[in-house]
Amino acid sequence: MKTRRLLAIALATTALTGPAMAEELRMSWWGGDSRHEATQAALMACGEAHGHTISPEFTGWDGHFERLTTQIAGGTEADIMQVNWPWLPIYSPDGSGFADLNQYSDIIDLSNWSEAQIADGTMNGALNGLSVSTTGRLFVFNATTWDAAGLEIPTTWDELIAAGPIFAETLGEDYYPFEAMGLDASLIVTLYGTQRTGRPLIDPATNEIAWSQEELAEAIEFYQTLVDNHVIEGWQDRAAAGGIPLHENPEWTDGRIAGTYQWDSTYFKIADPLEEGQELVYAGILSQDGQQTPGIYRKASMVFSISANSEHPEAAAEILNCLLNEEAGVMALGATRGVPASDAARGMLLEAEAIEPIQITAQSQVLEADGPAIHSFMEHPDVRGAMEENLELFAYGEIDAATAAEEMIYAIEEVLSEIDS
Amino acid sequence: MGGDNRFLGLWYVSPYLIGLVLFTMFPFLASFYLSFTDYDLLTAPEWVGLENYERLVTRDRTFAKSLRVTLTYVFTTVPLKLCFALFIAVVLNYRLKGIGLFRTAYYVPSILGGSIAIAVLWRYIFADTGLVNMIITGFGGEPVNWFGDPGNALFTITLLRVWQFGSAMVIFLAALQSVDKSLYEAASIDGAGPWKIFRHITLPLITPVIFFNLIMQTVQAFQEFNGPFIITNGGPLRSTYLLPLYIYEEAFQSFDMGYASAIAWILFLIIMTLTLVAFWSSKKWVYYAGDKRN
Repeated sequence: MKTRRLLAIALATTALTGPAMAEELRMSWWGGDSRHEATQAALMACGEAHGHTISPEFTGWDGHFERLTTQIAGGTEADIMQVNWPWLPIYSPDGSGFADLNQYSDIIDLSNWSEAQIADGTMNGALNGLSVSTTGRLFVFNATTWDAAGLEIPTTWDELIAAGPIFAETLGEDYYPFEAMGLDASLIVTLYGTQRTGRPLIDPATNEIAWSQEELAEAIEFYQTLVDNHVIEGWQDRAAAGGIPLHENPEWTDGRIAGTYQWDSTYFKIADPLEEGQELVYAGILSQDGQQTPGIYRKASMVFSISANSEHPEAAAEILNCLLNEEAGVMALGATRGVPASDAARGMLLEAEAIEPIQITAQSQVLEADGPAIHSFMEHPDVRGAMEENLELFAYGEIDAATAAEEMIYAIEEVLSEIDS
Repeated sequence: MGGDNRFLGLWYVSPYLIGLVLFTMFPFLASFYLSFTDYDLLTAPEWVGLENYERLVTRDRTFAKSLRVTLTYVFTTVPLKLCFALFIAVVLNYRLKGIGLFRTAYYVPSILGGSIAIAVLWRYIFADTGLVNMIITGFGGEPVNWFGDPGNALFTITLLRVWQFGSAMVIFLAALQSVDKSLYEAASIDGAGPWKIFRHITLPLITPVIFFNLIMQTVQAFQEFNGPFIITNGGPLRSTYLLPLYIYEEAFQSFDMGYASAIAWILFLIIMTLTLVAFWSSKKWVYYAGDKRN
């Protein structure tokens, strides 16, 4: 009798603790310092609210993909993961690579996302990731340096190109109105070509390259136009700094590089390291005469996913919902991952005026601009590698634009053939 | 104790043996099997026979380039490092005031050297506005583009490894101190100068240690990863793209673990061949105590 009574008390206590017991969880993400601090605070707040303990695992962007790959291959990934949207088809082509969040719709309030946003995170019918924010590449300029050069912030490519010699003359040879190297350079080439042709480089509907070799070669030549007009530093000179990311480059932090083309969700990453008195402004997408489209490169910036191997998926779902929809998590995270995609989170942050006005401006520019749909394989490592490697060879004068275009197309077609097979 | 003693030694070394089997032998054999498969890390490996090796040898321009860079790196870094380590060891073998402090100071880079932090520091030292260029311009010279010029980038990685000469130096120092002093005295009495003594007495007597350092440093150089990964990420124009970087990118960025394993096995065969050549040649130039050769 006594045993039965004890058992009943134990069961009652269990029931009182809610749908998930106090669990030990892990969450992984990449980002800069501001995101790291905010996310740790949010995990603390959500952990306390739901009675779980969450160990943070965070890194910079470099190497995170490889780290996550190794973890997923070994089945040791964190319970909750920040996943780059283009990685979803790599890790989960059939939808089984991550937990299906539809199964936890009683815990996660999915009504805060639009149908399109839910579709972005859905692989083969399984909701593998919830969009944290929508992001797009925008032109952002250092207004302080542009003021010093006596110029208005540009709205067209022609204005940007005209600014190059003026920067050199008024501020010095080591001042540049813009920058582009590596991924940034290949995205500038892609943007220019998209504006000219009105088509994306890879057509997501057909999985085929939508540009001719000549069109790609013309876009590659445009890179050289920027170098020749002192708009951007040559590849070789930028590499002299030792491959450091833009936000760590002293030329960026002190304003000598006065413009870049970046995700709007990385505002804090590029703005925080600036020296005092430097001010950034978003300029949308530069336009050109006769363009077919503004060519915005827009996508779900990142998604939060739950591991398919998680032993505590309900607890992980509670924390995920807290981070994305509940006040405790949302207010702690703030806008360190951009303007939230969740209606609830966006509403809370706007009401509390916790989003920087410049972030709101940038987000509207991203959402309002037109552009063709982006193929998720544009950020496949092999596609990126092919673009950057051949652009580098072109920038160093090792090959001409036509050869670079030919090599890029050949390498990208190889990757695309793997999707089809 | 009786008969149980037979297994006592085995018991003592069992932690090492378990580690060896789990963390060395198993991955070693697994990579051999995987090199004959198409394995994307996320789905089961698929047997493809010699296809990976065929692709490597006949079609892969990146492999050919990376192999050239790796051989250049190894054949410059190892001799430079050994010469420098031996030179410093000879200097530190003299009985000077405060020699202990100097020996410690010269060894410090080796303790720090393999770390990511030092690679990051190297990146700042050789950056266009870094310490090295400040010194060069301070003396009126032109700044050098260490990382952006394909002709210079590999040299900066080489310098990083040469700078970590400490472990080779300590081994050389121990060998120099074990040379019988009476041989030096006899040579001096016979009129031999310092260079002749070094050339005809010191060098032959420390050849076993030179041989040991040569093998160890060669193997380490072939496995170099941190320096080029952090400092130049293999660039510019793949001028610092050593084979370990290629293996890493194929395995963890392109999800081609089978192909990466094949490259790793080619690298292993190269190291093995060079080691066997070194062992074969050692009969002609390495002298051991009690050796009957003239």
